[in-house]
Amino acid sequence: MTEAGLSRAREIYQDRSRRARELRAEGKKVIGYLDIFPVLEMLTAMDLYPYRLLGDINEPVTKADACLPPVVCPFLRSVLDLGLKGRYDFLDGVAMAHGCEVGEKMAHIWQIYLNPTYAYYLDTPHTTHEAALKHHTELLRGFQSSLESFTGEKLSAERLEKAIKLHNKQRALVLELYNLRKPDPPLISGAETLQVMVSLMSLPAAEGNELLEQVINEVKQRKDGPAKQPARLLVWGSVMDNAALVEMIESTGANVVMDDTSTGSRAYFPTVEITADPLEGLAERYLAGLNSPRTFRETVLGESNRKDYMTDLENRFAYLRDYAAEWNVNGVILQALRYCDIHGYEVPGIKDYLDSIGLPCIYLEHDYSRAVLEQLRTRVQAFLEIIG
Amino acid sequence: MKPEALPYFAGIDLGSTMTKVVIIDEAGNICARVESHTGAEHRHLANRVMEQALKQADLLFDKITYVVATGYGRINVPFADRQMTELTCHARGVANLFPSVRTALDIGGQDAKGLKIKDGKLVDFVMNDKCAAGTGRFLEVIADTLGLRLEELGEISAKSKNRVKISNTCTVFAQQEITLRLSEGALLEDIIAGLHEAIASRAVGMLRRLKIEADVVFTGGVALNAGVVRAVKENLGLEVLVPEDPLISGALGAAFLGRELVRKALAEGKPLQRSKRRLSEATFFK
Repeated sequence: MTEAGLSRAREIYQDRSRRARELRAEGKKVIGYLDIFPVLEMLTAMDLYPYRLLGDINEPVTKADACLPPVVCPFLRSVLDLGLKGRYDFLDGVAMAHGCEVGEKMAHIWQIYLNPTYAYYLDTPHTTHEAALKHHTELLRGFQSSLESFTGEKLSAERLEKAIKLHNKQRALVLELYNLRKPDPPLISGAETLQVMVSLMSLPAAEGNELLEQVINEVKQRKDGPAKQPARLLVWGSVMDNAALVEMIESTGANVVMDDTSTGSRAYFPTVEITADPLEGLAERYLAGLNSPRTFRETVLGESNRKDYMTDLENRFAYLRDYAAEWNVNGVILQALRYCDIHGYEVPGIKDYLDSIGLPCIYLEHDYSRAVLEQLRTRVQAFLEIIG
Repeated sequence: MKPEALPYFAGIDLGSTMTKVVIIDEAGNICARVESHTGAEHRHLANRVMEQALKQADLLFDKITYVVATGYGRINVPFADRQMTELTCHARGVANLFPSVRTALDIGGQDAKGLKIKDGKLVDFVMNDKCAAGTGRFLEVIADTLGLRLEELGEISAKSKNRVKISNTCTVFAQQEITLRLSEGALLEDIIAGLHEAIASRAVGMLRRLKIEADVVFTGGVALNAGVVRAVKENLGLEVLVPEDPLISGALGAAFLGRELVRKALAEGKPLQRSKRRLSEATFFK
C-alpha cells in the first residue's frame, strides 16, 4: 500500500469496505454498528472489528422503499437499501442500539430482512439519571454475555482495559487533528476532515490510529492547505457521512472549521474513564458522555418561564459557545435530514441560544441527495453575504 | 443622455421566468430598464438583454463600471464582475424603493422569498423553492386550466362576493378541486378569489417564520395581481406597499450593490476585481 495520510483517507472514503473485505478473507470477524451508542471497545476487546454502517448518497434508494414507511429518514433508508443490495455481505453480524426511534426500529428491521448470523440490540436509555446509568451498565453486561457466546471467549477486564486505551488513543488523536483546524486558515478542510473520519469508521481501531498519525504529520507540514476565507463555520446536526454538503459550503467561500455531528466531534471527543468495573466507565461515557440531542437532559424543573428557558438552553448548548470560541467560529450551519426529528426539534432552541450569544446561524433541511445542493447553495451564499 | 465621464452600474437578474436588467448612474438614477422572458434563450444569451438595456441608455458596454448578476441564472452571465444571491439583491433594491421597509415578500415565477431588512441590508430570510403551490406557477397552471390570461385574474377576482375555499395544498390537486367546484356551479370570480387567498395564506405563512414588522413591501411578478395583493394584506392584517414596477427590485439592488462595491474599493484604495469577459454569449454551453 503506497498511499498514506490524506490520500489514503481519500482512497478509503471512496471505497470504504476494501479493508474490511481483506481482513475478512484473512479470517477476521467484522461487526457492523449503527450510530454511536454500540460500545466499540467491547467489540475490539473480543477481537471483532467494528465497522460503522453508513449510507451512500450516490446510490438511489430502490429496494428499501418496499420495506419502509415514508417517515424514515433518507440516511436509514439508504443504509437498509445497501444491505438489501448485498453491499454489506462481508459482515459477520451487527450491533445496533436505541439511538433514535427509527434507528431502534432499524435494528429489528435489519434482522428481519437480512437475517444476520449475529445481531445484538442495545436498548440504550434516553436520560442520564442515576437509575438510567445503572441500568445501562446492566445492559452492557447482557451485551458482554452475548459476545462471549458468539466468540466462545471470555471478555476479561484486562482485554477491555486494553481496548479502552486503544480507543481513547484514537479520540486523543482526533482532538489533535481537530486542533489543526484552529489556525486561520485551518490546515485541513472540512471536507478532508470528514474523509478522515469516515476512514476511521471503516478501519480497525489500531489501523485508524496509524492513519491519524500519518494525517496529522502530513497536515502539520503541508503547504497546500485551504485558503483563508472570511467565514469560519461550524456545522451542527444530523449524521453526515458524505462530504458533498461540506464541499458545497466550502465552495461558496467559507472554511468549515468545526462540527458537532455523529460523524465528527460528537462521536470522538468524549473519552472513557477506566473504572474498577470497566463496564461502568463505558456505560457512563456511552450515555452521559455522548452529547446527542436524542438524550434528554432537563436541568430546570418547575414552572416554565423565560429565565428558566434561557437557563435550560445555556445548560444544553454552552458547549457550542466554547467550540465557537476555541475554533474561532463566526457562523453556524444547522443542518438536518428530512424526518430527522431528533435534530429538527432541537433547531428552535439552538437558534434562540445562538441568537442570545450573537452567533449567526442558518438552518438547512436536506434530503441526503445531490439534487438539492444547488438550492442550498443559494441559501448558504446569502448567509455568507449577510455575515459579510 | 448622460455625460460620458460618469460611471454607470448594471444589475442583471436572470430569473426562472423573466430576465431583468437595470442600469443606474453614479447618482442612482435609473438610465435603463429591460424586462424580457428568460425562456431557453436567455439562459445563455444574457448579453442580448444587456445590449437592449445599453441601447435604451445610449451607452457602450465599456462605460459600465461594474456588473452584478443575480437570480437563478446568475452564473450564466460571463460578463458579470460579481454574482450575488437574489436574496441580498432584492433586499437592497426594495430598500432603495422604500427606505422604510423592514419586511419584504417576493413571489416570482418559481419561488417565493421573505426578507428581513434592517438599515437597508438583508438580515434574515426564508425561501420556498421546493413547492410550486406558493409561487407564480400555481396561478399560471390554474389560469391555463380555466383558459384565462394571468393579467385578467386580478380584475375578475374583484367581482367576488362569495370566495370559494381551495383546500388542497398541492397545485395539481387544486386544479382538480377547481374543476369540481366549477361543475357544482361556483362562479369564476369566486374561484379566482379563492385561488388568490390560497397563494396569499401560503406566502404569509412562510413569512411568519420571520418576525413581521412594518413597513411590508410586496414584489415579484405575482405582485402585479391586485387580487393577490388584497389577499396578502388581509392575511397580514397590515398595509402592504407595492412598487410601480414590482419586477426590477432584484436587478436594481444588484446595480446598487455594484456601486457600493466600487465605492468601497476606491475608498480603501484596493483594486477592483473585474471580469475580463466581453459582452458575448456564454460559451460553456457549447
